[in-house]
Amino acid sequence: MRTSILAAWAVAATAVALPAQADKLDDIIASGTLRCAVVLDFPPMGSRDAQNNPIGFDVDYCSDLAAALGVTAEVVETTFPERIPALMSGSVDVAVASTSDTLERAKTVGFTIPYYSFENAVVANEKVEMSNWEGMKGKVVGATAGTYEAIWLEGKVKEWGEGEFRPYQNQADVFLALSQGQLDATVSTVEVAEANVKSGNFPGIKIVDKAPMVPDYVALITLREEYGLINYMNLFINQQVRTGRYAELYKKWVGEGEPADLTVKGVYR
Amino acid sequence: MFDTALTANDLIFLAKGAGMTLIVTGISVLLGTILGILFGVFRYQVGPWWAAPLTFVLDIFRSIPLLIQLVLANAFVTTVLGFRISGFTVACGVLSLYTSAYCAEIVRGGIESVPTTLRRAARSLGMTWGQDMRSIVLPLATRVALPSWIGLALGVMKDSALVFIVQVVELLKSTQILITRLQEPLFLLMICGLFYFVISFPVARLGGYLERRWSND
Repeated sequence: MRTSILAAWAVAATAVALPAQADKLDDIIASGTLRCAVVLDFPPMGSRDAQNNPIGFDVDYCSDLAAALGVTAEVVETTFPERIPALMSGSVDVAVASTSDTLERAKTVGFTIPYYSFENAVVANEKVEMSNWEGMKGKVVGATAGTYEAIWLEGKVKEWGEGEFRPYQNQADVFLALSQGQLDATVSTVEVAEANVKSGNFPGIKIVDKAPMVPDYVALITLREEYGLINYMNLFINQQVRTGRYAELYKKWVGEGEPADLTVKGVYR
Repeated sequence: MFDTALTANDLIFLAKGAGMTLIVTGISVLLGTILGILFGVFRYQVGPWWAAPLTFVLDIFRSIPLLIQLVLANAFVTTVLGFRISGFTVACGVLSLYTSAYCAEIVRGGIESVPTTLRRAARSLGMTWGQDMRSIVLPLATRVALPSWIGLALGVMKDSALVFIVQVVELLKSTQILITRLQEPLFLLMICGLFYFVISFPVARLGGYLERRWSND
């Protein structure tokens, strides 16, 4: 009698314990599709081409991840605020959406190692002699008022004690002033700088150097408890850099030059 | 004077979105009406007391905003139950139930509009319940219920714009995609409105035609 009760308990316990086994990594492979949340109004990371198909760095990154898993990629368009809700509600598996790895977000979702990093570049008028970012010392510089780079630049001008800082209303005004020679140099994200140089709307400007600001590291995200998938994606990001695919995608979507270093000196991970 | 970056390709893209709106609406109205008739007849037959559980469920569908229903249903099916079904299926399912909740009321109202005395006369002539429903109630109730039903169908067509939340690219979502790319919101929204009009207008006119045709006898 006692044995049968014990056996019944054992059976019941196994029945309760069993369903928790297949994790998201298994689910994705079994279903044959990887659903990525991508922000598509954020070029060059995500946008749409003339046929309204999703394109961009993040879209290619999602396809690469799907190819590595041996499944097909499905891009699900989300806005920046919708990324995490889409993940939590199960309508996507991962978000490849330039998500900054803040500690606040890490309380809700699981981050991989950084897969991209937004750095800032020094852009100067071609007529100005400048070989690196320190060449801005004593020059007339400007940026969009209130932005991270404007605060940094203004601080630098104060620190140097020479030169002048001019705030502008928006990014286009800054580049116009730079192109017309009212400014000697400015600081903006590498992506914006590359796009503006490439567009030809602002003749006579060039990218000089990267600004030594703390870069904005962005990572892939999935549910916090999906360690299997996070481990897989960490290795995937490592492989992307190792095989040169990272540099290739950077060249394709951002432009010439070195892609950002994804390691931080002096600390693990 | 008037300059736009909109190409023929984009119009085809919008037309595809309109097609998706039509498919989602068509499936939802069809299934919703079938379910609505079943629910409506059931509620009328068994009386308010026995139908209370069903009435309560239908009231839930009528009183919670569709957007919330879609998000919750999608989350429930994909994360709680663990099924991987497409957003399209979820959208059609939720919209069908939503339609059926309204349709049940329309059907019940239609049946109630048939005079009880007339139905008693039918039964006293020896007609079965089924014959009474088919030959007496159906023709009379349909006339009463049709205008509300047309209104419901048109309403569902416009409500179907909310299914974008479960990743179904229908007309409004296609328009938003184009707005993001082309930055011409007013012009594109006008075109989107025109598309909605083109697909709703024939339905509204069909309703008007049927009403006129059936009312003169």
